[in-house]
Amino acid sequence: MKQYVLRRVALAVPTLFLVSIIVFLLLRLMPGDVATRMVEGHAYAPTLAALRHDLGLDRPMHAQYAEWIGNIVLRGDFGRSYWTRQPILDEFVRRFPVTLELALLTILVSVVIGVLVGIVSAARQDSLSDYVGRVLSIFALSVPYFGLAVVVVVLPAIWFRWTPVWTYVPFTVSPAENLKIMLIPALVFGVTRAGPIMRIMRSSLLDVLRQDYIRTAWSKGLSERRIVLRHALKNALIPVISLVGLQMPLYIGGSVIIEAIFRLPGVGLFFFEALGKLDYPVVQSVNLIIAAMVVCLNLLIDLSYAFLDPRIRY
Amino acid sequence: MPSWTRGSATKLGEELRLSAERRGYAPSDSPADGRRAPDGALLPASPQDPKARAKPALEAARKSRPWYLDVWVQIVRRKPLGTVGGAIVVLMLAGAVLADLIAPYGYAQTSLRERFVAVSAEHWLGTDQLGRDLLTRLLYGARVSLYVGFGAVALGSTLATLVGVASGYFGGRFDLLLQRAVDAWMAFPPLLLLMSIMSLLGPSALNITVVLGLAFGVQNSRIVRAVALSLKEHTFVESARALGSGHVRVTVGHILPNVLPTIIVVATTGLSTVILTEASLSFLGLGVPPPYPTWGGMLSLAGLDHMYQAPWLAVWPAVALSLAVFGFNMLGDALRDLLDPRLKGG
Repeated sequence: MKQYVLRRVALAVPTLFLVSIIVFLLLRLMPGDVATRMVEGHAYAPTLAALRHDLGLDRPMHAQYAEWIGNIVLRGDFGRSYWTRQPILDEFVRRFPVTLELALLTILVSVVIGVLVGIVSAARQDSLSDYVGRVLSIFALSVPYFGLAVVVVVLPAIWFRWTPVWTYVPFTVSPAENLKIMLIPALVFGVTRAGPIMRIMRSSLLDVLRQDYIRTAWSKGLSERRIVLRHALKNALIPVISLVGLQMPLYIGGSVIIEAIFRLPGVGLFFFEALGKLDYPVVQSVNLIIAAMVVCLNLLIDLSYAFLDPRIRY
Repeated sequence: MPSWTRGSATKLGEELRLSAERRGYAPSDSPADGRRAPDGALLPASPQDPKARAKPALEAARKSRPWYLDVWVQIVRRKPLGTVGGAIVVLMLAGAVLADLIAPYGYAQTSLRERFVAVSAEHWLGTDQLGRDLLTRLLYGARVSLYVGFGAVALGSTLATLVGVASGYFGGRFDLLLQRAVDAWMAFPPLLLLMSIMSLLGPSALNITVVLGLAFGVQNSRIVRAVALSLKEHTFVESARALGSGHVRVTVGHILPNVLPTIIVVATTGLSTVILTEASLSFLGLGVPPPYPTWGGMLSLAGLDHMYQAPWLAVWPAVALSLAVFGFNMLGDALRDLLDPRLKGG
């Protein structure tokens, strides 16, 4: 187990190193010049050359890269925004709870809906409820979340004169107010993500329900509820967990759009605004931090299999 | 190109599917009534038996149709949802191709006297804030979705095949290095990476097609690699090598035809994802620039204020996008069930 974790961490280091090179090069090789825009549009410095020198853009590329990555590795310093001169990590940490809460609520919504409908579908295969569940999952798979989000913002406003709350309240200030704000975005996003979970829950539970140990459980005279929920569900959940893990990057990517629509001050919005202003350090560092999180998360998910299925050992 | 290699791939798929049906995994939208394919002769052989898997289908009953035509007949016969999906795709294609002929107005034709018309005889789906006909714009929007979708998937499938087959077939250090690069690429949340690239390249139809194609190719090279890896061990590859075929002949003549069904499945199931991603980028203003209409762009936040006045501005593009994704999903699922059931459940 310990060895396995160590090996995985050792593999993650070169991956993240490559990630950092990819983002860095992408931003430098592409057209578009942040200095010109800052001087001409916003008069950040008297001349272009002065600003380039200030930002360190006049130095060779490898030196810029070495400085960026060196500061991260040695001092945990992710650099400062070109425009606001604020430390990126502070801003990230301040905004991360919003994105995390959105992601967790979304996962909660999609897993609860997906697993419940999946269980009913599998336990009552080919019944009316199975049919309804399957149609629902196809529906959820097809509706784009941002389309649904726009419709959810617009239609209730016209029909009931009701609009989502636009001013964000942190969870620590008022949990009730905060949940009221987060509920609609999480529901919209979660419902559209529930489709694949429903499908995989159904097929995996059907698979498990046909195994020998389930037949043994039936012949012992156990109730259906006990067999499905206690004996079969735990094993059937493994593919569901790996699906949620695999979809984690999608939750994070989608949060950019959801945060933009519902005006939530999260990391996604921070990233989107930085992109619009060609704020290289912010785009680089946020990409890198999130990639690192995805890598860690994948490891945690792999380890959780051992907990769910004692036959799996690392 | 020997024809039996192609036959053996569909045969393998068919066999796995039938054995799955026997174990009770009916494909979700087909009745498990045990209908047998014309070549059910191989059924007694267990699919787990490596000899049976690798055995070229020399003794197979000769099909009257080649597999790439037979698949469509099978879909219409056995996959009602796949047929519906296919019909939607055909309709969308027709709308996009014939947009110039059937669209009642020009896509940028404004009419300030007819702003925010809801539904009328002249404007079936209403008009927007500049009096542009929504139906016309949806038809032209289908063009963008399909152009970007098919373009990116074609580019991406080619890339995935090249990278996947090369990586899987040659293996070794080459494979190791290439796969670490793929690992790094896949560690990014796809949307963040695509947004970064698109905002720097600038929005245009060509840019978004190339970028989405690149992303699609890198991601799916894994699947192609896995298939190529397993094909490499088959005896027909060994015998081809023993007969003196070079690497080019083996990969192009033997591996490629057998990877083809997998690639078709990956491409069709991927189309809906690519179309959706294009729409989300256009939604953020990073896709195809206005005034050319795109479904994502029509939904976008820029028009939100107008949507309160005219909710159909939000509803119709959302419906069009959902229908398109539904159509490609169902068609892709049906093709996958018939061509390569090993990819199911992912």
